[in-house]
Amino acid sequence: MSIESLYPFLHSGSADLDSLLADVARSTAEKVDEIGRLRREVVAADDARMAACATAMAERFERGGRLMAFGNGGSSTDAAAVAALCVDPGPAWRPLPALALAADVATLTALANDVGFENVFARPVAAAGRPDDIALALSTSGGSANVLRGLAVAHERGLLTVGLAGYSGGSMAEAAARGEIDYLFVMPSASVHRIQEAQTTTYHVLWELVQRALGRP
Amino acid sequence: MFTRRDGPIGLLATDAPALAAACHAMARRFHRGGRLLAFGTGCSAADAAHVVVEFVHPVIIGKRALPALSLPGGSTGFRAELGLFGEPEDIALGIAPDGGDAALADGLAAARDRGLLTVALLGGEGGLVASLGGLDHVIAVRSDDTRIVREGQVTVYHVLWELVHVFLDAPEVLA
Repeated sequence: MSIESLYPFLHSGSADLDSLLADVARSTAEKVDEIGRLRREVVAADDARMAACATAMAERFERGGRLMAFGNGGSSTDAAAVAALCVDPGPAWRPLPALALAADVATLTALANDVGFENVFARPVAAAGRPDDIALALSTSGGSANVLRGLAVAHERGLLTVGLAGYSGGSMAEAAARGEIDYLFVMPSASVHRIQEAQTTTYHVLWELVQRALGRP
Repeated sequence: MFTRRDGPIGLLATDAPALAAACHAMARRFHRGGRLLAFGTGCSAADAAHVVVEFVHPVIIGKRALPALSLPGGSTGFRAELGLFGEPEDIALGIAPDGGDAALADGLAAARDRGLLTVALLGGEGGLVASLGGLDHVIAVRSDDTRIVREGQVTVYHVLWELVHVFLDAPEVLA
């Protein structure tokens, strides 16, 4: 949908505030509907695989595994949120060891400067990843080179690999087909914003299923 | 588990006029040279960083970058940081997945007292921040599940970013 059709008054050349406020209120309601539909689509397509993924993640945590989360830009903040949720989940839930790789800014900037940005996640996974660990990678396009390398190295080392992507999955779908991603969840949307919103629900639901598999709350 | 989301997040549609008003006020601040200062703790610190990257590095090509910073949230607290960074024309955006804690309320109160535009994204009903009084825009996702609140807030701040640009594209409504 074009910006012009969303906000007709804006492009009429003489926006008045009341008309514009009415336009944006309507477009907001449409976006809320759209994310609701996208969530329903994701669960209809993937609920059984989510349950299987959470069971596999819980087994890793039971064996002493840790979760390493990574992504770029907004997805790096999602990685940070997953780590914060795992480590400090509130009193009813079991705290779980999780790290967001981009939080280690010294390592991130050193690798980006000295080795190349495509290696910023692969190197820390190679250095600290153990076979019982879990790699959780987030990308909206599914095509981020550093995210793909991080997943490939994680898979080589025996980590459980979980990916969240958007659009049609991009290169992450190819990596999943090669067996480098154990569980890939694709948010079928062409909007980066709606993809991120659906991914947020997906990792929250995965976390809750993991907690249930571990006997909480 | 997914259907639990539909009610609280769907209710955001009824908040659309309040969101639109907040975006209009934010656009007027940016138009005057103000900056966005976003802050929160825990998962909300990640959300504050996310809001900042939306404004500084837009995903939609052709939209201009707008000045935004996330506050470090160090041991001095948000109140002191707003004192250091905040100018009266700026926007303070405080985020919590519930009613907010003392640090967030204190930061928003400091911003309000300095004349910044104050916007709070909260969850549930009531709480410390809502009881402050004098805040310009308070938008709450009505759920007591902090994860569902966060999911609604991600939609809210994506919409905030988009609508700020809609108003900035209409300078006749910014005076």
